[in-house]
Amino acid sequence: MDPVTGAQIVLAIGAAAASFRVVRGPSIADRIIALDLVLLLLASAMGAEIARTGEDLFATPVIVVALVAFAGAVLGARFIEWRDVPEEEEEEGQT
Amino acid sequence: MTALGSVLLGAGTLLGFLAAVGVARFPSALARMHASTKAASLGFILVVVGAAALARSPGAAGIAVLVAAFQFLTAPVSGHLLGRAATLAGAHGDLLVDDFSGRRAPLPEPPSGETVFSTSRVAGTALLWVLLWRDAAVGTFAAGLIVGLTVEAVGRRRTVARIRPLPALRFLVFYVGQVAVSNARLAWEVATPWHDEIAEAIVRCPLETLSPPVAILVANSVTFSPGTLTVELTEEPELVLYVHVLRFRDREETRAEIRALEERATAVFRPDVTRRG
Repeated sequence: MDPVTGAQIVLAIGAAAASFRVVRGPSIADRIIALDLVLLLLASAMGAEIARTGEDLFATPVIVVALVAFAGAVLGARFIEWRDVPEEEEEEGQT
Repeated sequence: MTALGSVLLGAGTLLGFLAAVGVARFPSALARMHASTKAASLGFILVVVGAAALARSPGAAGIAVLVAAFQFLTAPVSGHLLGRAATLAGAHGDLLVDDFSGRRAPLPEPPSGETVFSTSRVAGTALLWVLLWRDAAVGTFAAGLIVGLTVEAVGRRRTVARIRPLPALRFLVFYVGQVAVSNARLAWEVATPWHDEIAEAIVRCPLETLSPPVAILVANSVTFSPGTLTVELTEEPELVLYVHVLRFRDREETRAEIRALEERATAVFRPDVTRRG
């Protein structure tokens, strides 16, 4: 088997393991962490493809996926913080 | 070149896989973050660098450099934010020590004050633009300069952290070593079926520095250091770092590690930025 294909299969199995955590949770933080990892593994598998096709086809998508993973993680973190502030605690913070 | 590329590709794939196993198996959200931020980021970099070595084209090498730099910059940032959010949401395991409990610092104010124009930042943005287009034409560079100047005009830019090249290089070498050690330890942690050695804690580490650039460099390096993860960097009013430790022994050990890191980070910047603006 072509080593690049082998690497992609291993990464896909990894993505499946991480998806288990996306489904299982239990907290939203777990899901966001795991989803971030799935995207990073997808970017890795696409990056491995550069070995076969050169930079023409996959270079830009790799950067785009990595960027989406980063933006998703940052937004996810912000979402948890905004969502989880109980009201009385917010008032405490203002005094 | 082929052998090197294959080795890098294989190592990166293995790290990505171990990160996934860690995320699936580790007992708490913060422990899982140790696996995903450290191993998957380095794995991604290694895969792309290895693939570029196998492709043997200068364009692919440029992409690999870009991806590696991008990942080294963004992974600690998203790791810090996610770690903070997960801690505040209470998504950590049983903690032996929890110095952070009950603290919810308000989000910091955006920096204000005088603005500084930085030529190197404009040049850096232009270079990034050219790398992204993978086209060294004059027009591309001109467009990159326009983008850089626009970013410089619109963005916030209070302090220019002036970097000393030689200590910065020394820090980079040390940092790469830390990344390698932390990944090796993490791989061991994931690959062994017992979790007795995981003993989580969140430790308060006061920093000696008053300089935000130094503190940020420390906070970001901690995320890639063996067994530690930044949870929060805050002003109380001195700068304090809260660190999640995967294998806790005692507070002083963690604080000594952070102190050593801080000394190295302080050396990177010119002393004139170490006073707070």
